Amino acid sequence: MVARVAGVFDEKLTEAIANSKILVVGAGGIGCEILKNLVLTGFPYIEIIDLDTIDVSNLNRQFLFHKEHVGKSKAQVAKDSALSFNPSVNIIAHHDSVISNDYGVNYFKQFNMVMNALDNRVARNHVNRMCLAANIPLIETGTAGYAGQVELIQKGQTQCYECQPKAPQKSFPGCTIRNTPSEPIHCIVWAKHLFNQLFGEEDPDQDVSPDTADPEAAGDAGASALRTEGTEAGNVERKSTRAWASETNYDPEKLFSKLFGDDIRYLLSMENLWKKRRPPTPLTWNNLPGKGNPTAQHSGLPDQRVWSMHECAQVFGDSCKALQADLKNRPEGDHLVWDKDEKSAMDFVTACANIRAHIFNIPLKSRFEIKSMAGNIIPAIATANAIVAGLAVLRAQNLLKGETRACTSVYLRPKVNHRGQLFVPEKTLTAPNPKCYVCASKPEVALACNLKQLTLKDLNAAFKDGLNMQAPDAVVEGKGLVVLSSEPGETDHNNEKTLEEIGLNDGSALVVDDFLQNYEVRVILQQKDEEKSWRLVTDPDIPMPGPKEEKPANGSNGADEPKPGPSCSKEDSDSDMEIIEEDDTGEPAPKPPKRRKVGMNNEIVDLC
Amino acid sequence: MVENNGVELSEAEAEQYDRQIRLWGLESQKRIRSSKVLIIGLSGLGAEIAKNIILSGVKSVCLLDNEKLKETDLHSQFLAPSDKIGENRAETSLQRARALNPMVEVTAETKAVEALPDSYFGTFDVVCATGLKQEQLERINNICRDKTNKFLCGDVWGMFGYMFADLFDHEYSEEIVQHKAVKRGPDDSEKNARETVTINVKRRAIYVPLQNALSADWTKPELRSRLRRGDPSYFVMKILLRFRDEYNRNPDPAKRKSDTEILLRMRDELVKELNLPVGFVSDAILTDVFGIVAGAAAVVGGVIGQEVVKAVSQREPPHNNMFFFNPVKCVGFVELYGQ
Ligand SMILES: [Zn+2]
Repeated sequence: MVARVAGVFDEKLTEAIANSKILVVGAGGIGCEILKNLVLTGFPYIEIIDLDTIDVSNLNRQFLFHKEHVGKSKAQVAKDSALSFNPSVNIIAHHDSVISNDYGVNYFKQFNMVMNALDNRVARNHVNRMCLAANIPLIETGTAGYAGQVELIQKGQTQCYECQPKAPQKSFPGCTIRNTPSEPIHCIVWAKHLFNQLFGEEDPDQDVSPDTADPEAAGDAGASALRTEGTEAGNVERKSTRAWASETNYDPEKLFSKLFGDDIRYLLSMENLWKKRRPPTPLTWNNLPGKGNPTAQHSGLPDQRVWSMHECAQVFGDSCKALQADLKNRPEGDHLVWDKDEKSAMDFVTACANIRAHIFNIPLKSRFEIKSMAGNIIPAIATANAIVAGLAVLRAQNLLKGETRACTSVYLRPKVNHRGQLFVPEKTLTAPNPKCYVCASKPEVALACNLKQLTLKDLNAAFKDGLNMQAPDAVVEGKGLVVLSSEPGETDHNNEKTLEEIGLNDGSALVVDDFLQNYEVRVILQQKDEEKSWRLVTDPDIPMPGPKEEKPANGSNGADEPKPGPSCSKEDSDSDMEIIEEDDTGEPAPKPPKRRKVGMNNEIVDLC
Repeated sequence: MVENNGVELSEAEAEQYDRQIRLWGLESQKRIRSSKVLIIGLSGLGAEIAKNIILSGVKSVCLLDNEKLKETDLHSQFLAPSDKIGENRAETSLQRARALNPMVEVTAETKAVEALPDSYFGTFDVVCATGLKQEQLERINNICRDKTNKFLCGDVWGMFGYMFADLFDHEYSEEIVQHKAVKRGPDDSEKNARETVTINVKRRAIYVPLQNALSADWTKPELRSRLRRGDPSYFVMKILLRFRDEYNRNPDPAKRKSDTEILLRMRDELVKELNLPVGFVSDAILTDVFGIVAGAAAVVGGVIGQEVVKAVSQREPPHNNMFFFNPVKCVGFVELYGQ
């Protein structure tokens, strides 16, 4: 099948399109639009991969899907709808994760190019590596609200997706969450942790009880006076929160009294914390503000009304009971996964976050707002996706004509810049970062850690979460000693040993590789006594992701995803993109270009 | 302009429009939901505009077209099934257009623009015209002005496209995000204790009619200085509108060679007429103006769709008054003409 009508394109492009094979990764907002454009233009062979199913909140922009398709495979329905536009195109749909052994380097090599329409960093990083390994061009796209971007990634000619370290996701110190919250988000994070402690996967890093190891509280005599069960690790309870809640049969009043009464009184006893802060006010179940008050006049969506404390407590009780019932119906040892679209899970977090906010004199939020923050929802509209997908397919046409150098990045701005530009192209391709630990000819990165404490298990996590590998193998350079193996069980017996114990020291080099990604990197260990976990070091000036990051979000379909690492949660949007701003003065862009988070940031007025 | 009728959104609407309500707010969504839009010309560009506007959740969309579906339409017109060649473009688009969003009332009108009385166009809050001759565009624009309704028009030729908007006297609110330091305790100086505050600012924009924009006087120094930017898009639009007026059609992919010659001749005439630098409007930009390329229709249809949303929701500054997409540089920009 050639472009349907001769004469629309010149002969060269017509022929290049007729002989092309394209892989589209993602059938969401941008993916649907890209697929439509490709099919209409007459691209004869397209494969599309997406592991998601259709949700009703997709329908305002993912126009290949209709109400009757909710719950079905995005890739399959997108294929069926797109075929109706041009039945002679060959489309192969995969309802699958692109991160799979089924899609290795040879699979990628069969395509002329890959077009990314993804919504998360993990998959973007992975496809980036696959395209570098297969040496085929990748057109990377993303939108966030009104903004968006299209960029070409071509090995050796442009930056790769990982050339510039991404800003780590916002994290909050444990003691802020557990002891001294000052913003609504701190209470929301706490409430999500509480959900996991009570109903979800218990994670020791998500403790919700007062943290007596808070350095600020040092020297507080009152702390130990009130309770005796405090442990040296700083956790007040030996018993897990889950076990305790279970013993009380998830009695809402008892849970409430402990979480919002006793624990708060305990925090008050840590007097040092409140010398310069407004102290919290414990709450009592039977005496909550708002009881008996008529519901205030409200004109927005029902979810946009802020609940009174009395209502919060009722929702807390009801959602606890519902979640407990849900948990009970599951096999022993199974747990719930927090999902913003599950009514009780969302109710629970809204109620708990607001009760805690009230206690700490922090502004309350509506369920609607808390859903955005807890679910990390990035708004998405049809028009921005249409524009970005249109630009992406025009860039694909440039590439097929051999005009690689013309394929500079293009940014869709939320508002025009001072030159009146709404779509802003870069003047030239952005050269690769020679120090990139992914696309450099000899990738290298330093790992700062305390060799006396970091175990091999931690090291494996560092490679997966920090270097975004799927199944790392590591050998000691020059010695051939296998430190980590992706073969199940092969090095598990060493899991708890520290790096020092297996003979690694400051300056030791490891050769770490991921077979699927066809990616190998040299990792140099740096001894840092003060490092509690690990930290990647490429350039001392650039902060790199470490492991202790707070994710405000877990995507609703997280269960199907490869396990997200700390630096890479699945986000509910068509993007977690960052925008590289073109230099507004028209001068050549400074290197490295300034990266900014997409958003309404061009109009931010700073009052501080 | 569109009045908020005060009726609350249903739960189904709140669910389906959730991701956009989180961007432009509930009030905007209510305004969108009470607006009636007319889309003229169901080429690939018209289909893109219709898709975006129907998805946004307006009250009603009328598709107006008296043309028959042609084979050339198929490489961008995804609302019309490919086996309906020869049938009316608006009517064949109805079924798929309705399926995009069953909450929107979608109708078709198959009469020619010339056959419809002025009063017909006055019944819509927004008229969005594509594929018309300049005289027809100006007629409808003036009807909209009399009724103080919003008028937009645009076209895509090949990979090139433009949009014009006359929102008459347009009031809107603009959201400005401010960062404010907040203190929690008496001596709390935590840097992190910041809050974002959004302020809504009311603004007003005055527009000019299409005939002013299309007859911009290039002898004036303020316009002359724009030539330094080096973008010929305005002139490319002029040439293509003239081609349509003169030959009663768009450049035809099947006559690529002979039509290119005509376009280059018309280019030379315009360059002379406006005393433009030789070579300012390159041959290259006039070679990719055949048919409607799907990617370009998506881009320009996306911009027009968003401007319709801004116009009816009275939120965020709309473009005043022309937008151009220059595919050679992949740049999209806004310029004011005729004021
Ligand atoms: Zn790189």
